[in-house]
Amino acid sequence: MAKSQNLLTEVESKGLLKKAGIPVVEAKLARSKKEAISVSKEIGFPVVLKISSTDVVHKSDSGGVKLGVANATQVGKAYGEIVSSIKRAYPEAQIEGVSVQTMAPPGVEVIVGMSKDAQFGPVLMFGLGGILVEVLKDVSFRIVPVTERDAGEMIKEIKGYPLLQGYRGQKPASIPALEQLIVKVSQFVEKNPQIKELDLNPIFAYPDRAVAVDARIILE
Amino acid sequence: MFEEKLKEFEPIFYPRSIAVVGASATSIKAGSLWVGDLRSAGFPGIIYPVGSSGGRLGDLEIFPSLRLIPGEVDHVIVAVPRQSVLELLDDCATRNVKVVHFFTAGFSEMDRQQGRRLEEQMVGKARQGNMRIIGPNCIGVYCPEHKIPFLMGILGESGSVGFVSQSGGIATKLATIGIARHINYSKGVSFGNGIDLDASDFLQYLAADPKTRVIGAYLEGTRDGVRLFDTMKEVARAKPLVVWKGGRTEAGAQAALSHTGSLASPAAMWSAMLKQAGAIEVNSLEELTDALLIFQQLGRGQGTRAAIIGGLADGGGGNSVAAGDACMEYGLKVPPLSSETKEGLGKLLGEVGGIFHNPVDVSQAQFRGLPTLFQAIDLVVRDTISDIVFVQEDIEILLPIYSQKGVEEINEFLMELRSRHSKPIVVVLPPGSTEAERLRIEQKLLAASIPVFCSMERAAKAIHRLNRYYSRQEAE
Repeated sequence: MAKSQNLLTEVESKGLLKKAGIPVVEAKLARSKKEAISVSKEIGFPVVLKISSTDVVHKSDSGGVKLGVANATQVGKAYGEIVSSIKRAYPEAQIEGVSVQTMAPPGVEVIVGMSKDAQFGPVLMFGLGGILVEVLKDVSFRIVPVTERDAGEMIKEIKGYPLLQGYRGQKPASIPALEQLIVKVSQFVEKNPQIKELDLNPIFAYPDRAVAVDARIILE
Repeated sequence: MFEEKLKEFEPIFYPRSIAVVGASATSIKAGSLWVGDLRSAGFPGIIYPVGSSGGRLGDLEIFPSLRLIPGEVDHVIVAVPRQSVLELLDDCATRNVKVVHFFTAGFSEMDRQQGRRLEEQMVGKARQGNMRIIGPNCIGVYCPEHKIPFLMGILGESGSVGFVSQSGGIATKLATIGIARHINYSKGVSFGNGIDLDASDFLQYLAADPKTRVIGAYLEGTRDGVRLFDTMKEVARAKPLVVWKGGRTEAGAQAALSHTGSLASPAAMWSAMLKQAGAIEVNSLEELTDALLIFQQLGRGQGTRAAIIGGLADGGGGNSVAAGDACMEYGLKVPPLSSETKEGLGKLLGEVGGIFHNPVDVSQAQFRGLPTLFQAIDLVVRDTISDIVFVQEDIEILLPIYSQKGVEEINEFLMELRSRHSKPIVVVLPPGSTEAERLRIEQKLLAASIPVFCSMERAAKAIHRLNRYYSRQEAE
């Protein structure tokens, strides 16, 4: 995987998004096993640990993510495992440490992203997370600036929309919360033309809110 | 909106005089053809043929140079090789020409670097001389009202549909299909390379033009996507805008580090842009003309409840089922007829063999005569459960049963019904083995402002687009 000088880490990306009023699960950087344990205690268990390195593009595929880590001992163990598997998968990678964040309760997974089109400039994408995006490419696009109405239309346009309306007893996801999140992302990228690409993936959509669990920003 | 364009574009669509550069008395040149086409179309302004060899073209004098024309020249059509275009623009500037249309090809479409450079010089000269350029590499202006035909003398009736096209071939097809299907144009333009005036400019003009009520567009690309998007947003708010984007299979998105970047193909961006602008996206010439026809004929949202008369004689049953499917596929509802209507149909046609639910099979009328058929159709149209009525007529089946005279009467009745009810009637005439007769009937119905389609699918799809546009308008 090509190294990108312009890739911000998850911690940096989420810091910028949070400042712009976009709901994120905040992540803190731990540069050592010891720091990881103290940050975890501060946040409260269970936590999620992820490799923090701009050289690693696919974090979870290379063993760089540990979910639901329940206590201090496990954090120490997980830290060691993450670092050694990344060293195997990306021998050249510069490792900053791991990011530590609270384990968000499960929600409907969606993705919101931005890229730049040669003819129309920045565009936003919306889709359901996981295989619905990757295999079925069930996504919709709108050109920035995206209004609340546009956001509503792009959410309803995807084929997987019924999954957001609640199925098999699941509670429906809040569409207004997703609309507001999309509009805020639109305002964020409009104000920051130096951003080349952006993925909030996944976002967990709940009945009353939506929050970005992972984020990646790529600068020009 | 865009009112300033009306005056600015008057020399484009309503010139008082046109000079055609590239005319010749002896050889057949595009310029000479243009002069001939304008004359036979009955262009009401003055035509000045221009050609270095001089001489006469019919009773018109060919001027050796634009500078020698005695009167004012609003609009110049250029059909000379590209080597002389810059000099020609100088001549145009000295004569205070307002608009220059370059039929001449061989610019950036052929030679990216050199062609682009020449185009930039042309635009520079036009700016200096306060002139606008249409083209190059295009067939230019079509205005039936002011008797400006497309090349080869194509000229239909004047109407309320405007169009812009990047391609001359598609522009010509729009004009000829318009003639065949009674889609009557206010104005059309093929703008080719669009180095000065491009799609955005013409769309703005058509939005302001009081003669234009619906707009069609064929586009392949744009030099300024953001301006086009902003323009379309405003235009679509004022008038229905139907857009066919050609070249959808161009290379996909480049390698990207994000999911978003890897999924954002140019085709997906165009679709998103059109949706967001409130334009109606279509994917073929057929869909474009179907949509323009229905917008022209019906002109407003019609509601989604359809009554379907699947056939007027034998074979109505299966066609009815298929027609119902086509409607449902495109978001139309096919609600059951009221019990009064069903009862009435039962009395008229007999209870046996009649399917009076909706779609309706009235084929039993063939054993009871035309007046019974007419009463049955009238009952269905009058039922308030529907907003629109589809009538499928299979001419090759009707002819042997009712003879030509009977078929004639049936269609006279439909036209009379159309004038009596405010509820729109859409006729489906499937092609078959009696094409000549079918086409004759299609022409009659279209002339009576009844929309005609070849298939229920195409009819339903066009109505769906009409309804969707107006329901989005209402939601604004």
